[in-house]
Amino acid sequence: MSYYDVDAILTDAQKVPCTFEITVPGLGYLEGNPGNDIKQGAKLELPLWLGEMLAVSRNASEESNLTLDLPKCLSAHVVNALKADARTVELRALAPHFYALGARILDLFEDEELSSVLSESFKKRAREIADQAHNSGRSLGDAADFLRGLDEEERQLFRTAHESTKAVRVWMSELKKA
Amino acid sequence: MALPLPPGLTPAEVAFLCEMELVTVIPRQKLDSLHLLGGPVPVLQPPLRNNVPLWLALLLKKQRRANIVPPPWLNVESLSAILDHETERAPEDFSPPPKLPPIGDESSIISPPFLPTSTADGQPNALPYHWMELGEILLEAASDDFEDVDQVRRLLRDLREARLAKLRSGIDALDSGGGKPMNGIGGMEVAEGRSFICGVIDSLRKIGAAKEMAKREREDEDRTGYQGTADDEDEDMDMLR
Repeated sequence: MSYYDVDAILTDAQKVPCTFEITVPGLGYLEGNPGNDIKQGAKLELPLWLGEMLAVSRNASEESNLTLDLPKCLSAHVVNALKADARTVELRALAPHFYALGARILDLFEDEELSSVLSESFKKRAREIADQAHNSGRSLGDAADFLRGLDEEERQLFRTAHESTKAVRVWMSELKKA
Repeated sequence: MALPLPPGLTPAEVAFLCEMELVTVIPRQKLDSLHLLGGPVPVLQPPLRNNVPLWLALLLKKQRRANIVPPPWLNVESLSAILDHETERAPEDFSPPPKLPPIGDESSIISPPFLPTSTADGQPNALPYHWMELGEILLEAASDDFEDVDQVRRLLRDLREARLAKLRSGIDALDSGGGKPMNGIGGMEVAEGRSFICGVIDSLRKIGAAKEMAKREREDEDRTGYQGTADDEDEDMDMLR
């Protein structure tokens, strides 16, 4: 992950649910009531970069500031849906950078099952993407419906697969012209 | 600023490389030997067949100074047999590439485009590395030298579809440690599939990175744990002594 990678930055900006373990004075504006304190046990959605930093660091009395929870897009509900049929889940509606977020979360939580579910569903969906990219028409516009459900990484994959198919097709038609 | 080309070769570049392949021509006019960087081109004397690079054959064909003999694998019979092999007999694998010349031969050239796989005496039942681009180019430039152009063209298209579908289904096997044998795959197919396959592997590696790390740590622990017990045993032995 590069420092200037826009997708990495956007992944870090996705929100994850956090529970505050300590009372923080004056941070109430995060909750929407400025001027007040954030109480111990308050649940908030924070960007991943902030939540991760606060969860990993320790304060002066050696307690963690907050605990991270699994984001909704990786909940058991979604995992079951992915297990049942990965191809029909609209990942983009769950999180625009679903797999990148999943990979970051897997760094923080050890969850063998989640990891294998994610890679299995990526493989299943990649196959579908390859077929669509190969068979969709000359422009990307035809595939708009299909693209709607894909997360950013899958879209990138679709685009490259479509480009290379198109390059061969262009070469063949140029052969005919010459 | 990176070069705005995808990694690997573009189809035009693959086709350019393919033009080094030797094909057999039947000259219609006499042509003296040409001294080229790649070695001399033999004297063309009608009606004797000779092997020349594809680019020269195409040039001569365009000037109506030669006819091209289609390679033995590029006809209805061979292509149907190969297609049958691909779809019916071995639906998982790609059909095997042409046999390599025996090692220790005086000409120790064992890679395309220097193998005479597409000359008139090439192997009829195997697709060479440049099958797709060579087939397309010949069908386009020398269609009057084929017996049944439309049928050959249709078979080539079918083969391409069948093999691409196989290539795409191969991603099921891709995982950390998994692999798919791609023996017999052609140059243009590599060019077409490269970006997709690389993308899938990259993403799978990112998703599996945490798992992989955990596994490695566990293995390290196991190893150190094992060494620990080994040391203990050594100590026990020492004490017994």
